[in-house]
Amino acid sequence: MSEPLIRVRDLTRDYRLMDKREGVMGGFVDLLRPRWRTLRAVEDVCFDIDPGEMVGYIGANGAGKSTTIKMLTGILTPTGGQVTVGGMVPWKQRRQYTRHIGAVFGQRTQLWWDLAVVESFRLLQKIYEVDDATYTRQMEIFDDLLGVNEFLHQPVRKLSLGQRMRCDLAAALLHRPRILFLDEPTIGLDVVAKENVRLFLKEIRDRDGVTVILTTHDLGDIEQLCDRVIIIDKGRVHYDGELDDLRQRTGHRVRLTVDLREPTTVAALEAAVSGLPVTWDQEEGLRHVAEFRRQDVAGAEVIKRLVNACPVSDLRLAEPDIEEIVREIYRDAKNGATAVSTNDGAAS
Amino acid sequence: MQLEQRRQRTLAASIRWQMGIFGAYFAQFIKTRLAYRMDFFVDTFGVMVSIIIQLAVLTTLFGKVTALQGWTFEQVLFIYGFSLVPLGIFNIISVNLYQFADRYLIQGKFDRVLLRPVNTLAQVLCESFNVSGLNEIVLGTAIVIWSGMRMQLEVGALDVLAVLVMGPTAALVYLGVFLGITSISFWIEDKMGIAPPVYNVIRFSRYPLTIYSLPVRVLLTFVLPFAWVAFYPASWFIGEGNLHSVAALTPLVGLVVFSGAVLLWRRGVANYTSTGS
Repeated sequence: MSEPLIRVRDLTRDYRLMDKREGVMGGFVDLLRPRWRTLRAVEDVCFDIDPGEMVGYIGANGAGKSTTIKMLTGILTPTGGQVTVGGMVPWKQRRQYTRHIGAVFGQRTQLWWDLAVVESFRLLQKIYEVDDATYTRQMEIFDDLLGVNEFLHQPVRKLSLGQRMRCDLAAALLHRPRILFLDEPTIGLDVVAKENVRLFLKEIRDRDGVTVILTTHDLGDIEQLCDRVIIIDKGRVHYDGELDDLRQRTGHRVRLTVDLREPTTVAALEAAVSGLPVTWDQEEGLRHVAEFRRQDVAGAEVIKRLVNACPVSDLRLAEPDIEEIVREIYRDAKNGATAVSTNDGAAS
Repeated sequence: MQLEQRRQRTLAASIRWQMGIFGAYFAQFIKTRLAYRMDFFVDTFGVMVSIIIQLAVLTTLFGKVTALQGWTFEQVLFIYGFSLVPLGIFNIISVNLYQFADRYLIQGKFDRVLLRPVNTLAQVLCESFNVSGLNEIVLGTAIVIWSGMRMQLEVGALDVLAVLVMGPTAALVYLGVFLGITSISFWIEDKMGIAPPVYNVIRFSRYPLTIYSLPVRVLLTFVLPFAWVAFYPASWFIGEGNLHSVAALTPLVGLVVFSGAVLLWRRGVANYTSTGS
């Protein structure tokens, strides 16, 4: 087996927080006797990532996603544990290491606010010592895939969010890094802009074999881009494995949305599919939702019985979205069931 | 899979690269400033007016008294002018130190700095300049030359060399002190800042040290060593007896203060906690 590109072992990060007392007097007391509290944002995280993988790193707000990414990029120094990326320790060999990585933080631009986009690129070219031929070629690719030329001469602060994100992506990839870290790359973008970003990332992966690690709230990103997901909650890894396995785990719960022509009781619907393991829920007015597991019952069977018994006007069958699956994983974890199916060797 | 380690650069190549980046940053800065042309003129004008007023006060003062505790008008002026040159150099590159806690730590801009393969301190210093510091350098130089000529100082090759070494190293004293103060904000979120009161202490460094009481002299020599910015180095030219040789310590003091501050800065960077998201 080849050596992984990224190797993370027992990664832990604490923050020291001051609990502030209320009021003005409280402020004075804080000054003299601060109350400190330690928050463990990331705890004993282990995983390996191979070259060329595209991994989704997901979790709720405050789960420790960004903290992990910041340690992997060398921004934060961990409290404990080890990270090696291609033989380097990010926060120790920062200046060497950053030549090989690109990073986009959706919430905040990495570009110079007052500079025209092209000036930012020129500055980055100098910093990363990108030769002119590579620079020109990269800029052509970026224009091809992201259409950056149309706002190359505007200052970054005047760009729309979607334009800015496209620039940030281009800027992170100008020096042709081996690894790309994306923290919420589609946050706040409209559907079209999101789609553009996703297509671009796919293209870059196929073209350059860049290894991508992305955190997101948008499960569409994960479904379209990632083969592998790592789910983190309260600083701990709860799932690490293939996206398909994750779907499998939850037993392919399927949702059938039914629109009726005239009001019907839930009882009548239940009667129509009696004997089948289906649960019903009235969503609003004429819309009802049936839930069942694919391995228990075939969708066609449910639909056939329904159409025969009730005045159905429309039907829609939906696969579970990842959000639900993640919620389920969290719930399992809370109930004490271990949901961790770690990748080969990562736990050893 | 291993990432490729870069060959170690030769010192010359490293300096050339750093200067290239410095130049690129500076060029970018000028471009953004040109968009706000009036600002530049107003700044320049403001600095000049304030210096002219201070000179006028000195001149008026010496119209009444001919000497200040044994210092002639020309000598006082010489020290005054001498203090402006390192101050100008410092002012040009130090703007971001004042805004550091707010703009880089609280707003989290420091993340970006850490993602680039360039020295963190160099990036922070180079991301903004205060060009009006040039006025202080020009004016200070003019005052030194004028008062030196009035005193009929004899200037040899060694003296010229001394000025060229002492000017920048004296600026390191300022830079070191304020870098040290700035570095503290890695540990303490301090919005009010101790920088402004310390900045005010700089005024004391413009006059001959001997006019102050002992505690102030000790403060300015050892604690906030601003006496090394003008009084001690100027003594190379106008001082008597052992003060003359003390002046030669200026580069050493500058390097020690600055190195100490850089060490503190590095500890701070390792302690950086970034922002929530």
